[in-house]
Amino acid sequence: MDPAENGSKEPEPEESVPSVESDIPEERIAARRLRIAARIEAKKREALGVDPNPKKEVKQELKSEKQVEQSRQRLTKLKSDGTELVTNIQVAADSRESQRRTDEAEARRQRTERLESEAKMSLEKFEDITKKWTMARSRELPQDLWEILNMQQQQCALLIEDKNKLINDLQQELKASDDRYVKDLKKQAEDIDLMIERMEEQIKNLMKSYREELNQIEKSFELERRELLDSNHNKWEQMMQCRRDKELQFLMMRMKRVEEQERQLQQLRVQDAEEYNMIKIKLETDVQILEQQLQQMKATYQLNQEKLEYNFQVLKKRDEENTITKSQQKRKITRLQDILNNVRIKHTKQDKQFREENHGLTEDYKRIMEQYKEMQKKMKHFANVDAKKFQEIWLMNEEEVKELVQRALETDRIIHEQQLGLAWEKPHLPFMERSGPIVPEHEKKKLALQLAEEVIRSKGNTDADEEWEAVCAPGTQSDSPPFQEQDRLDTDNTESSADQPLKISVKTIKRLLEILCDETGFLIESKLLKLLSPLEKDEQSLMKLDAIFMALGIENEEDVYKLADFFIKYREQQTVDSKGADEDESPGKRESHAQKETGDGSSHRSSSSDLIHPNDVLQALRGFTKEHFKPRDKSHQQSKLFNLNERDDSKDAAYWEDMVNVIPEAKLKVWDALYNALEKYHHVLTERMKLINETNGMKQQNSELRMLLHQYVNSRVNAELEIPPTQVMQVESSWN
Amino acid sequence: MPNVIGNPDKGVFTPGRLPQISEPVMRLNPASDPRKMRRIIAEDPEWSLAIIPLLRDLCLQHIVKNFENNPILNELLPSHKAKVLEKLSTKLPLKVTANLISHEGYWNRCCTERWGVCDVACYGNSWKRMFFERHLEKIIELFIPDVTDIKTVLDVVPLCKNYVKKLNISQLLPPVKEPQMNEDDNASDTASDLGHEGPSIDHFDFWTLLDKLTHLEELHLVYGVSGCGMNFEWNLFEFTYRDCQSLAKALKSCKTLKVFRIHQSKVDDEKVRLLINSLLDHPFLTVLDLSHNLIGDRGARAIGKLINERKMKSITVYDNKIRAHGAQAIAYALTKNTTLTSLNLRLNQIGDEGGQAIAHALLKNATLTNIHMGSNELTEPTATVLSQVLVQNKTLRNINLSCNRLGLDGGKQIQEGMSYNTTVVEFDVRLTEIGQESEYSISQILQNNQEKARKKLITESGVKK
Repeated sequence: MDPAENGSKEPEPEESVPSVESDIPEERIAARRLRIAARIEAKKREALGVDPNPKKEVKQELKSEKQVEQSRQRLTKLKSDGTELVTNIQVAADSRESQRRTDEAEARRQRTERLESEAKMSLEKFEDITKKWTMARSRELPQDLWEILNMQQQQCALLIEDKNKLINDLQQELKASDDRYVKDLKKQAEDIDLMIERMEEQIKNLMKSYREELNQIEKSFELERRELLDSNHNKWEQMMQCRRDKELQFLMMRMKRVEEQERQLQQLRVQDAEEYNMIKIKLETDVQILEQQLQQMKATYQLNQEKLEYNFQVLKKRDEENTITKSQQKRKITRLQDILNNVRIKHTKQDKQFREENHGLTEDYKRIMEQYKEMQKKMKHFANVDAKKFQEIWLMNEEEVKELVQRALETDRIIHEQQLGLAWEKPHLPFMERSGPIVPEHEKKKLALQLAEEVIRSKGNTDADEEWEAVCAPGTQSDSPPFQEQDRLDTDNTESSADQPLKISVKTIKRLLEILCDETGFLIESKLLKLLSPLEKDEQSLMKLDAIFMALGIENEEDVYKLADFFIKYREQQTVDSKGADEDESPGKRESHAQKETGDGSSHRSSSSDLIHPNDVLQALRGFTKEHFKPRDKSHQQSKLFNLNERDDSKDAAYWEDMVNVIPEAKLKVWDALYNALEKYHHVLTERMKLINETNGMKQQNSELRMLLHQYVNSRVNAELEIPPTQVMQVESSWN
Repeated sequence: MPNVIGNPDKGVFTPGRLPQISEPVMRLNPASDPRKMRRIIAEDPEWSLAIIPLLRDLCLQHIVKNFENNPILNELLPSHKAKVLEKLSTKLPLKVTANLISHEGYWNRCCTERWGVCDVACYGNSWKRMFFERHLEKIIELFIPDVTDIKTVLDVVPLCKNYVKKLNISQLLPPVKEPQMNEDDNASDTASDLGHEGPSIDHFDFWTLLDKLTHLEELHLVYGVSGCGMNFEWNLFEFTYRDCQSLAKALKSCKTLKVFRIHQSKVDDEKVRLLINSLLDHPFLTVLDLSHNLIGDRGARAIGKLINERKMKSITVYDNKIRAHGAQAIAYALTKNTTLTSLNLRLNQIGDEGGQAIAHALLKNATLTNIHMGSNELTEPTATVLSQVLVQNKTLRNINLSCNRLGLDGGKQIQEGMSYNTTVVEFDVRLTEIGQESEYSISQILQNNQEKARKKLITESGVKK
């Protein structure tokens, strides 16, 4: 397929090749088949990594490839033939060698057989001969012996001959094999020569054929190249021709275009010139108008200039004036500035001074405050110490006095019982039971818990004890009710508002405590609850209340009443609020409510159900704690201080007086009388004692004299005497 | 000198004034020689325009002259180095040159001057290696035990141990004196008897040499004398047991050896067993060649063991005396082995029994590519099994069965087997009497296979590229 043809007339090859758009179905099928085949081939080539060259190139290359393939085949054949020819010799030699080996093995086998048979035969013969020797020995006739010996000799000779024959044979064989060896050597040398010859020949042949093939291949390549060159040249020419044509065409086209464009240019030029003229005229008229305007403007300008100049002069004058005043002002400003500075300096100085002073004063103040505090502390300390000391002294004195009282009483008793023989009755002495300094009763308020206990214990007889109203008499059954009454009134006066709640009924209180007990369980520790569970209900509620009062900070009776009062007020406020809310809607209802209120008024304090709703307890409690805690704390402290400072000692004298007056006046009189009588009695007794002593002395003198007499009587001197005193005595006695 | 230099201007072109210049001056100054002043002298390759040789050249000449005493080479510039190497004498002692010069050009000159015919391709294209290998070979080949001093060998070793990779020793001389005495004493005795008698018959002891050559990879040995001519005596070709012992020891010590070849050395079963025993735990040995020896079945069994133990690639035992039992041992080894690619059993006597065993082994083996069983007394039964091998085995490429009488029937069977085969490229069936028809068809199939193999090779190389 000529590429030149291909390029110039493209439709031609397509006609020769079956077309897909052909009318004949067979041709269409063939075309499709070709197409598929082409695709597969293209794919294969792609897979092999060869560029999918155009078909024609492949076809062109085929020629050289074919040539190469042919020569390669021929050369391989030649080579294999040659090698076969050469190796044939080796193979032949091998086969000869193996043949020789088998032959030799056979020959060796025969030889050994022959040797063995020969050895056997000769052995037999030898044995024959040896046997005959024994025979010969038995012969005695010399002829016989000779004969036998001859025979033996012959036989031996035969044996040796056989052996020699064998040796000869073997030697011949050896020689033959030697010959063969030489022949083989020769043959091998020949073979080698032949081999070398053949190898050389083969090499020569191969070289020759290689060269030939190379030439042929080169030739084919050259041919191909030439063809390729031709085709390319043709193509080139054709393309050049094509180019030339096209260039000419382009030139023509260009010229045409140039002409046309020139024409257009001309037209445009004319048009533009006309337009230009028109614009020019118009602009000139514009210029004239503008010049006129310019003249006018110039005139106005002149006028304005003159006016402005005048103005300028005036302004200049003013400016001068202004500068003068400005300078004056400036001077003034500087002067004032100076003054201001001075004043400022002075101010700062003073400020500093005052600050220092202030600092010093504050320092002083602080110091004094500290001193004051210290003093207070000291005072407190001393007050405490004094109180303590006072109490101690009191106690000591009291004890002493009590002892004295006791002694007095004892003596009284003794006097009564022993001296007078009367029954003695112990007088009533309340001060003996108590100790410590006298505390004013109004400060000794009943503890809240005690109140609660009382209230709860009084559960059973509440209804009857409506007027029991501990309210009025919260104190214990004291010795001096008037005092207490007085005190209470005093406190009532001071606390004013606290007066009212004191009238609250026991029932209400009880109710309140119950509600507290129920609602504020959260204030009690869970442990405590557990511990309480086995106790009685009253006990339980008491313990609970204790915990709750602790938590709320309620300490004494008064607080309890306050709390109750607060609750009541709280409720009232609530009802008022709700009423206020209800007012717009139903005034009637409100009236009825008010009525109810008034109606209940009397019983409102005693009725427990109205006290407070359980749900509001918490809120009310919060409000109560908020209101009452702080002030009470303060007052508490103050009262304590107050207590220490102003202890009322009015009753002390009375107290001590009481102590002194333990023994009444009447008794004292009795004592005096008794004393006198006793004194007399004592006097008598002493007299008596004196007399007794006298008699006792007399008695002793008697006894002593008697003793002396006895001594004299019994002495030896008497015996020596002519008249013993004894005889004298006897005589005497006898005389007597 | 200045007047001498001034001379040429006037003197050269006026021959009349030449005689006035004194002789020594003429010798000193080349310019005074009219011949040297010619612009171009075609015959003289050394000629140059520079009239006075450069100091550089003079120095280099001096270095060349005194190279033996003061070798300076590596310190020179490359261009100067090349010049010096070009001019160095090839007669310089090896002690100086061996480890100093690595330039191939110099060794090329050494080799060509010493031997004339050289094929450097056989020595890995290294002239230096060729020089040292051939040098050492020559020394060993000419070594006569008890006469030549062992030092002559050992002196060379440190010089050439870095370059020697292969030793191809074509002869080993026996000791000179005592063998002659032995000969006198036991003239009628057979040669084999002679060999066992005296220890003096031992050859060069390789043990002293091999462990010193740290780069040796190939060793080819012939215990025999080449070119003895009419002085032939049996004892010249003796491989004694002690030789064998020392060789075995030497092989064990040479850890780098890859190829070992000992041929035409009367290696019999005992010796082969001794050698193989020492090779069993050799780390690198892959090629073993024991051709032209006297190995029998027991030796073959040892070889089979070696095939199994070591990762051998090629075993050549042609021209030995292996019979059926030995072949069976080798066949058993083949069934287990996965490395052997080439086996040559040419010119043995394994017979049908051995041939069948090997063919059965080939059914299992998948690595062997070349097998040569030429001249082995094989007949039809082997051909039967072999046809089966041809069908099943996909690795065999070259098979040689030449000089075995397979007969017509065997030929037909092989032809049939070949018709299923696509891998065998060469199949030698010459002189097997299988008939022309079979031979022709086999050759056709072979051609096809060759074409296939070639295409495969081309595509593989294409893919690799």
